[in-house]
Amino acid sequence: MRRFTTDADAPLRQGPYQSPLRDERLAAILGASLGVLFIILFVTGLYSHLHQHPVSWLPVPSRPVGLFRVTQGVHVAAGIASIPVLLIKLWVVWPRFVSIPPVKRVSHFVERVGLFPLVAGAIFMVFSGIANIAQWYPWRFAFPAAHFWVAWVTMGALVAHLGAKWYITRRALRRPSRRPALSAADPALGTLAETAHPGLSRRGLLATTAAAAGALTVVTVGQTFEPLRRLAILAPRDPKVGPRGRPVNRSAANAGVLSSATSAGYRFKVEGRVARPLSFTLPELRALAAHQANLPIACVEGWSFSAPWSGVRVRDLLDMAGAAPGATAHVQSLEANSPYTFSYLDDDQAHDRDTLLATHLDGQPLSLDHGYPLRLIGPGRPGVNQTKWVTRLVVR
Amino acid sequence: MSLPSSAPEETRHRPGAGFWISAVVGWAVIGYGLRGLFQHHVDTRPANLAKFFIGGALLHDLIVAPLLLVVGVLVSRATPERVRGVVQAALIISGSLMLFSYPLVRGYAHALHNPTSLPHNYAANLAIAVGVVWGLAGLVIVVRALRRAH
Repeated sequence: MRRFTTDADAPLRQGPYQSPLRDERLAAILGASLGVLFIILFVTGLYSHLHQHPVSWLPVPSRPVGLFRVTQGVHVAAGIASIPVLLIKLWVVWPRFVSIPPVKRVSHFVERVGLFPLVAGAIFMVFSGIANIAQWYPWRFAFPAAHFWVAWVTMGALVAHLGAKWYITRRALRRPSRRPALSAADPALGTLAETAHPGLSRRGLLATTAAAAGALTVVTVGQTFEPLRRLAILAPRDPKVGPRGRPVNRSAANAGVLSSATSAGYRFKVEGRVARPLSFTLPELRALAAHQANLPIACVEGWSFSAPWSGVRVRDLLDMAGAAPGATAHVQSLEANSPYTFSYLDDDQAHDRDTLLATHLDGQPLSLDHGYPLRLIGPGRPGVNQTKWVTRLVVR
Repeated sequence: MSLPSSAPEETRHRPGAGFWISAVVGWAVIGYGLRGLFQHHVDTRPANLAKFFIGGALLHDLIVAPLLLVVGVLVSRATPERVRGVVQAALIISGSLMLFSYPLVRGYAHALHNPTSLPHNYAANLAIAVGVVWGLAGLVIVVRALRRAH
């Protein structure tokens, strides 16, 4: 064991810039909170990624029907709540960016180099997420890909940081009574540190950070948690505002399907590995046995609503067409050349009793923005995978 | 009980196996992320992404953080000691609300002509939210003053 002291002479920790709040206990508590938030964000984010980039060895469950609604609601809420936690944490540790001398040991160098991907990554993740739910795109990259890959960079940096700070964090999180009183070791220092100072105390700053996170949650979470809808005055969506009182992420005009979706020549086809390819006009589709299901539509951007949908079951169509048991399918939209042109249904999802190609929402024919004439709606799926303006079911 | 930040830190162990294992694992994960970024360069646009990645950290460390430092010093000089904590708390909470609402108040999403995006008047609602925060802060100050008077 070696004894050393660090950074006693760093200029930003002296004089008027010095706040007794910038201590390791506050840094530890905020760091631990941020660690928990980032782990929640990473896990829920990976779950959403898995839905949008399915892999055969880890199929996503279609039940419970509201699972994705909850995980993505938590993802966006935790991201919003992490704004004040991240900023206050950075405020506490910011003077430490100046270290004299800049590098002391190999381990010190490794630790400090890792701070860059950690801080830059954390700021990038929170900023890009907040901008994306506000549909503000000041960048040229594709948000999902950038947000996903930078998440790995950030989480890797977090793992390295945890290892570097484990000892100091554990020590700082211990109950104060179990640590020796500073005043016992050095009366002068102890008096300086322990005397009450005007302004927020450490506990006060922690309570303020929690209150800021709470305030942000209260004014936004109603976009997915309906009991708090009226308080969601700063949410980017309202689950009751939109065509026929329901929001959409992408309008028919933006998707460029206004004429194709309303064309008299519209046909819905079932093709691919089937014994009998099928083709329907809209009246023929509506004449098929309708099934009704109460299903949530949960946007990756964090808003959701649950509603009664009705239409034809995908599994009934597969049976009519003579598809093999265990068949999977791609659902194709009229919206061409978009990342959302196709949506994949694995065996489980394709045969779920509630996976529908819906013609009605809330007992009324779909509006154009909701996917008229036909849209996919299935349990436990992200809204981005609930393809609208469906024209083809390609069986595999 | 806290350590003043200018004081020498307590002694601690020299970085052990845990430090190096997590450093190796952490940097491997960072490497995985970077490899993904470059492999999917058509989507991630690394040059453009780097502007935001590096720019965000620089913006915080060189502009936002020093600015907050100055604001902090000004607040501590301008406010009486009795109300300072409440004013600091109200500033932090209302600042967080404003930061989050910035793209909503600017209404960037309206460019997409999606009638269901941004259904509220965000400038007005932000004013309400910030007003509630400062209203509560004022209430706390008054209640504390009344308590002291009794």
